[in-house]
Amino acid sequence: MGKSHIRHLLAGAALAVGATLALGQSAWAADIKIGFITPLSGPIASQGIPFSKGMAAGQKYVSEVNGRKIEFIQLDDASDPSQTARNARKLIDEDKVDVIVGTGGVPGAMALASIASEAKLPLVSFTPLFLSGDKAAWSVTTAQPASLMIDAVVDHMKKDGVKTIGYIGFSDSWGDLAYNTLLKSAEGAGMEVVTNERYARSDTSVTGQALKIVAAGPDAVIGGTAGTPGALPYLALADRGYQGAIYGTHGIINPDFIRVAGASAEGLLAPTGPVVVADQLPDSHPSKVVAAEFAAAYEAANGEAPKDAFSAYAFDAWKVIADAAARVPADMEPGTPEYRAALRDAIFETKDLPVTHGVLTFKPGSPYGADDRAAVMVKLENGNWVLQ
Amino acid sequence: MNATSKNRLLLLVPVIALAAVPFVFGSFTVSLFNDIGMAALVVLGLVLLSGVGGVTSFGQAAFVGIAAYSSAWLNTHLGLSPWIGLPFALLVTTVSAVLIGILTLRLGGHYLPLSTIAWGLSVPLLFGNIATLGRHSGISGIAPISVGGWQFSSSEAVFYVIWILVGLVTVFSYRLLDSRMGRVIRAVRGGKVLLASFGADIFRVRLALFVLSAVFAAFSGWLYAHANRFVSPAPFSLHASIDYMFMMVVGGLGQLAGGIAGTTIVIALKSVLQDILPLFSTHAAQIQAVVFAILFILLLHHARGGVLSLASRFIGTRSGGGAPAAISGEPVEPLPRRALPAKGEVLLSVDGVSKHFKGLIAVNQVGFDVRAGEIVGLIGPNGAGKSTMFNLLTGTLNLTAGRIAFLGKDISGKSQRDIALMGMARTFQHVKLRPQMSILDNIALGAHARGRAGYLSGGFGFDAQEERRIRAEAMHQIERIGLAGREHELAGSMPLGTQRIIEIARALASDPVLLILDEPAAGLRKGEKQALGDLLGRLRAEGVTILIVEHDMDFVMKLVDRLVVMNFGTKLFEGAPQDARADKGVRAAYLGDAA
Amino acid sequence: MSWDIASILAVDGMAGAAIYLLAGIGLVLVFSVTRVIYVPFGDVAVFSALTLAFIEAGRVPPTIGLVATLAALATLMEVVRFAGLREFARIPKAVFYWGILPLLPCVPAWIFAGSEMPALAAIALSLALVVPIAPLTARLVYHPIADASVLVLLIASLVLHFLMSGLGLLFFGPEGFRTRPFVQGTLQLAPGFSVSFQILLMVGAAIVLAGLFFLAFERTMIGKALRATAVNRVGAQLVGIRPAATATLAYVAVSVLAGIVGILIAPSTTMYYDSGLIIGLKAFVAAIIGGLNSYPLTALGAVAVGMLESFASFWHGALKDVIVFSLLIPALLVRSHFSSHSDEEPEEEV
Repeated sequence: MGKSHIRHLLAGAALAVGATLALGQSAWAADIKIGFITPLSGPIASQGIPFSKGMAAGQKYVSEVNGRKIEFIQLDDASDPSQTARNARKLIDEDKVDVIVGTGGVPGAMALASIASEAKLPLVSFTPLFLSGDKAAWSVTTAQPASLMIDAVVDHMKKDGVKTIGYIGFSDSWGDLAYNTLLKSAEGAGMEVVTNERYARSDTSVTGQALKIVAAGPDAVIGGTAGTPGALPYLALADRGYQGAIYGTHGIINPDFIRVAGASAEGLLAPTGPVVVADQLPDSHPSKVVAAEFAAAYEAANGEAPKDAFSAYAFDAWKVIADAAARVPADMEPGTPEYRAALRDAIFETKDLPVTHGVLTFKPGSPYGADDRAAVMVKLENGNWVLQ
Repeated sequence: MNATSKNRLLLLVPVIALAAVPFVFGSFTVSLFNDIGMAALVVLGLVLLSGVGGVTSFGQAAFVGIAAYSSAWLNTHLGLSPWIGLPFALLVTTVSAVLIGILTLRLGGHYLPLSTIAWGLSVPLLFGNIATLGRHSGISGIAPISVGGWQFSSSEAVFYVIWILVGLVTVFSYRLLDSRMGRVIRAVRGGKVLLASFGADIFRVRLALFVLSAVFAAFSGWLYAHANRFVSPAPFSLHASIDYMFMMVVGGLGQLAGGIAGTTIVIALKSVLQDILPLFSTHAAQIQAVVFAILFILLLHHARGGVLSLASRFIGTRSGGGAPAAISGEPVEPLPRRALPAKGEVLLSVDGVSKHFKGLIAVNQVGFDVRAGEIVGLIGPNGAGKSTMFNLLTGTLNLTAGRIAFLGKDISGKSQRDIALMGMARTFQHVKLRPQMSILDNIALGAHARGRAGYLSGGFGFDAQEERRIRAEAMHQIERIGLAGREHELAGSMPLGTQRIIEIARALASDPVLLILDEPAAGLRKGEKQALGDLLGRLRAEGVTILIVEHDMDFVMKLVDRLVVMNFGTKLFEGAPQDARADKGVRAAYLGDAA
Repeated sequence: MSWDIASILAVDGMAGAAIYLLAGIGLVLVFSVTRVIYVPFGDVAVFSALTLAFIEAGRVPPTIGLVATLAALATLMEVVRFAGLREFARIPKAVFYWGILPLLPCVPAWIFAGSEMPALAAIALSLALVVPIAPLTARLVYHPIADASVLVLLIASLVLHFLMSGLGLLFFGPEGFRTRPFVQGTLQLAPGFSVSFQILLMVGAAIVLAGLFFLAFERTMIGKALRATAVNRVGAQLVGIRPAATATLAYVAVSVLAGIVGILIAPSTTMYYDSGLIIGLKAFVAAIIGGLNSYPLTALGAVAVGMLESFASFWHGALKDVIVFSLLIPALLVRSHFSSHSDEEPEEEV
């Protein structure tokens, strides 16, 4: 190895060391700290930004428990699971957070779950988590299990006499999840899924996929999609003159979806949490009051009325944490391993907590806490969601 | 203690500092270092491939992904240890790289980077569509690396695995670049004809580089799978590949140390921006990409050589060149020499050779011989077909009719490289030296075919003996052309006349049977011509056989034993130089033309 | 696959081809004049689509702020440059060209945004707003490194793409937008086979525009200057063509093309802040099939990419892009085999 090479290595190493020296900094506090990770940029930013607004609403709703302030530190993961993991370590290590909340996208949330059990602190997510047994010991989610939502759709289809279902979804983990759940659920109900068409969020046209579905001639079509990119299949199906029933998943409940899909999505049926149609719920529904509180807090925090279902999931996560933190002995000091464990135990003792998306009861062994009160079917009529 | 060993001791400082990182910093910073290390492995490969070798690749993340998925799959589906996963991952990645490389590396110009975008985009999309790889959700629950029951599951433990690998790969890369194949790698940008002239095959070198960079990426992927313990398609997307490219550019293309510095800076900067920007704006996350892009553009504008060149400006080290280790004076056994044919034996026999270009006859039925120990001049006015003849002789062009025999063997259909390996060494009309390489390295390139050390023995340092012999040979040639003492200067900083002479020395380093020079006097000043003439005179005295293709008749006259004069593609004259002056045809065609 | 399906896919493919044709022409134009592979083409198209969507929604398009910022930066750069050269007399002209001219469309946009306006006026305004973007960003990013290698310029292009999509997210938000269709209805060509007027308009506009560009290139003085610069930069300089000026001209042209692409595509496709890259990459494929220098072959490439994409989405939707980009490799091999490049590519030192 030559001398100049060594000099280069030295120069490189000096730069490297200099660049990282600024990194080591520590913080500690007696407040309850939530580490919040969400995609504020990248492909799933359109879900990540509402999550962020929902957390802000949560803070407006309840910002103190047992005389301790709850604060949250927000980091963007740019829709990249590696960045999610890096952020989580940063929050745990430098900010000494007591609980992690996040993130948009299943792979990122799964990465969080494994870090949570490794670092022994609770994770409250708002996306589906595929965990069971020991791996679920530290993680819960406020999202409904996909099966709960898809079952609601399939039940509705059965009532309408649907025999064959056409599926079109994203070519991503959400598209996979919706399809697999649908297969299982449809099989149980004696229906057949005749297509499995996929497209990317960034695609400009799904004419080919729509043609294939029309050629297969299913009684109903369901889209395993989310947000505005989810509008594309319905537009293409309408263009191709598809006449059958159209269904969606809870991922598309978002006003921008309605704006983009326009008339093509008229009559669309989708499952969702009760919060979306809170004003149409009977007064007896447990989510009715919470939804109103959520709307007020959201407006106070963000200066506008809530329009989507995503922010409500994040609000629910906040509510779960606040509820659990209230049950942690007041003399325990946040920022300690004991506090994290106690908070985890408290979260898994959550029982019949009314939230915007139904009622949550967490039990060890499963990350899900929702029951069938968390699913309602809504129909898009004249640009508004109408409770079925 | 000499300067080199002092510098080596200095190098211990960052190594020790690095080793202390897990004790000083928290687990986040350590995991950040882990990310840096894993990315640095990829970037080191990219520096060799794109920075040094000039093969732009926007698909390195795909190789990381192939390796990560291979090992993850083996671990989760078959329950095999990561230590079996590693060779498996390396194998799968190597096979993929060889296949992709064979398909695409012959592409020229902008086609090659585009093709890398094609598979850089496609491979991660494929991961998301394969059921056994968990589709878009990926694979989770991958086992950590373990040794004898002790698991490297914490980021502190993996830290050492990662950085020891980075260290090994760095040392390997440095050694490789300093070796026989490394010189060829550094010369790859000179093009196919240059490489063939000393017996190297550019396609094979590029393919080897490509596979090597994929192997580095595979180490990174294997570490990624077992350090993060989950894999999904997103971290291997085209976007990630572009990020690796950015890291290399920040470090300064073509500098290994720069590659590591660039990786560190890009990853650390993103982390620092994440901390700082929220202080200024509520849209910090969205602004981050913008700020990063602006900083990058400023870097491109003000320090295109990357941060290393920026740092060198302050520290005072010079980027490129420098003084490599002194060549040890102890004598080594010289490289084996070819058995040379007896003086007067026919070396090259050109018989009725023609070359047509779409109806245009550039060379028409030309024949002549070159015998061992003589100097023959092939001259003619512009457009006489000399250059075409030269290209036919060296195998750069295929002939339309006729036969060329070298050392008694028909070489009409042989490749340029095969002819060079048979012992025909050439120079170029437009000098093809590697301007950023030292004179010594340029000349050592000539001896390429006389060594056999490969990539691995170069990288692992098993080639020391042979390398000393090659360097001794190069030094011998440097002394022969009178440049001793200047061997470490950059070839590009030499005047044209000296560059021509260096090219001759490079050709001589191959121990040629026949030296063939393409217009060696073109563009030279009088003094330079004189020096060149003197050198050729000395070589003649030493018994080297030379064919000079030249336009300048006066220059050739005094040197050669025999002249072949061409005009309009046909042979006009063959015989002694003084007879050429007397020949009417030659006078009319050539001297008349010159007058 | 039945005939019906094939014809519908072919029509869809033509719509895509129209977009890739215009984008491909833009890429070839910029590359031949400046050696820059203009990756941010798609981003400019996105800006025009989103600007139009904002104007239609009665909101003030944030493009105004963007153009104003870019113009201020470019002016500053020019002023500093001339001040450094002590050529103060040239400053007013620079301020006019880089500072005032780009801001002209911002004024009506600022005044009329928020009020209902005729569709054509909205389109014209959106186009006018994005036209300064490519030349301004080029002045800021490429001009100082105009002599760099193609690789460095390509890296700069990629960075510029990330910069522009970052700005897009910041200014327009993460949600997608569609604009109102210019024309409703479909044209019945045969029983069971109809083509929407929207697609006819896209294809027609692309053909007309491509024709116009071709004519302008072949016939006008400006076109000749552009071609001369493309063929020989130094030579063009010697006969009095200023490369910097022709480059700016090329960027204005590419901005117009990108603006039109954005406006044509927005009614049929939801546009997001990050939709640009994939459009740009596919147009790049078309341009590469044309060898980055031939307009007719680029047109052929655009049709190939559009058709392949449309049919691939039918064969296997999830692997559509894999199919499009994978079949590129044989196309490249053929192209590389027939292109008369000598193996001795000009070597590039960075």
